[in-house]
Amino acid sequence: MSYLDIEPWRLLIVFALVLASSWAVSWRAGLDLGRDLLVGLLRGAAQLFAVGYLLIVIFAQEGPGWVLVVLSVMLSVAAWTAARRVEHGPGARRLAPFALIAVAAGSGLALVPVFAIVVTPTPWFDGRHVIPISGIVVANAMNVVAQVNERIFASAHAERAEIEQWLALGASPKQALAGPSRRALRAALIPTINSLLTLGLVSLPGMMTGQIVSGVAPELAVRYQLVIMYQLVIVAAVSGSVAAALARRMLFTPGHQLRRHWP
Amino acid sequence: MSVTVLEARGLSVSFASNVVLSDVDFRLGDGEIAVIEGPSGAGKSTLLRALASLEPITNGSLQLAGTPLDDLPPAVFRAAVAYIPQQPVMFDGSVADNLRAGPELRGETVDEARVGELLRLVGLAPDFAGRSARDLSGGEKQRVAIARALANDPRVVLFDEPTSALDPGSADAVLALIRATAGRGRAVAVVTHAREHADALGGQRYRCEAGKLSRLA
Repeated sequence: MSYLDIEPWRLLIVFALVLASSWAVSWRAGLDLGRDLLVGLLRGAAQLFAVGYLLIVIFAQEGPGWVLVVLSVMLSVAAWTAARRVEHGPGARRLAPFALIAVAAGSGLALVPVFAIVVTPTPWFDGRHVIPISGIVVANAMNVVAQVNERIFASAHAERAEIEQWLALGASPKQALAGPSRRALRAALIPTINSLLTLGLVSLPGMMTGQIVSGVAPELAVRYQLVIMYQLVIVAAVSGSVAAALARRMLFTPGHQLRRHWP
Repeated sequence: MSVTVLEARGLSVSFASNVVLSDVDFRLGDGEIAVIEGPSGAGKSTLLRALASLEPITNGSLQLAGTPLDDLPPAVFRAAVAYIPQQPVMFDGSVADNLRAGPELRGETVDEARVGELLRLVGLAPDFAGRSARDLSGGEKQRVAIARALANDPRVVLFDEPTSALDPGSADAVLALIRATAGRGRAVAVVTHAREHADALGGQRYRCEAGKLSRLA
């Protein structure tokens, strides 16, 4: 395996160049973003280095405990992030457990067959494989669930009159919310489908690029990337559908009335 | 006295801690018209929405032909108790698509002859069937909404301010349509704040004020 090392002084040069040029742009355009840029660059570096050292420790472990802890943290942060900032929703605290179910359902359904049949780590909890692949899949589930939640709760608010008109004609909540659910799911699936269609044409996907740069044969990198991309389709479909179904449960009372207030 | 179709007893509705309707008794029989008047914010529309089972009831009971609301699937109750809001929303598609919406929810089909019959009932020409429902005028939308509700063959039709957004000519036509609906044996309740429209409808008069409903002599 051959790869080019990045010594710390080279990294410092990149840091200084990026900081100087972005600070100059911010100053000239009067964006007042200088402080945010500095904090962002430092914080991003600190987080990544921390994760890097944590991974060294975890990869050296001989039991599944730490890998399971990392997966749990990943799922929890993803669920909390997907539940935040959903306008017209029931609030992050109430939404988070449902987001966790949706993220976990899609991620689980995508990852278990991959680790069981396609990429079979030895031992099964080998962090070097389980953590990065799970990270990509969980992050995608998080984005899909956040998007579905945001769209469905916003539609239920904006299209209240139409949804209630359907209910008044005898529609079930599923029938009354069919339009907004379909639109939310389509919107959540489109980025994944687009990235499948342009795979390798617009840019090389991140994981594959990383593998090739660090010396893995392109052919093997392609196979890894394909497995991931296919799993992302499952994640988008499953996590999105589960999130839509759970949003519907929250939106309607047991008597099939569209909620005005959250209990 | 006619057969009671819809009956509310001690009905109360609250939004969070705000009591909007309190201890309302209301009865509607086959072929009867009830007209509910009152100032804005008195709870008239909430009463109609509660009677349509679109608002959760905090206290009291609601019965359809003697069966409590809780004993009926919501879809069955709502197919029997039609509700037409102040400004009806037209669904995407043609007028015929809108008229078919209710029965199709239950997997039933509505043939062209039935679409024509529904249009005739509300005084619209057969060629309206193919028109885009969202492009109709206010009065035409109101008629299509009535026809769409009648497609479910309901026993009760609840109208919320059916004439408030209409010009006088369209309003008179809709009032005649409401009387005809009751004339065909359906129970009808109408919320209005226009005294002359209440007079034109006849029937039993109610007054809603500060969340309380009183029957006028």
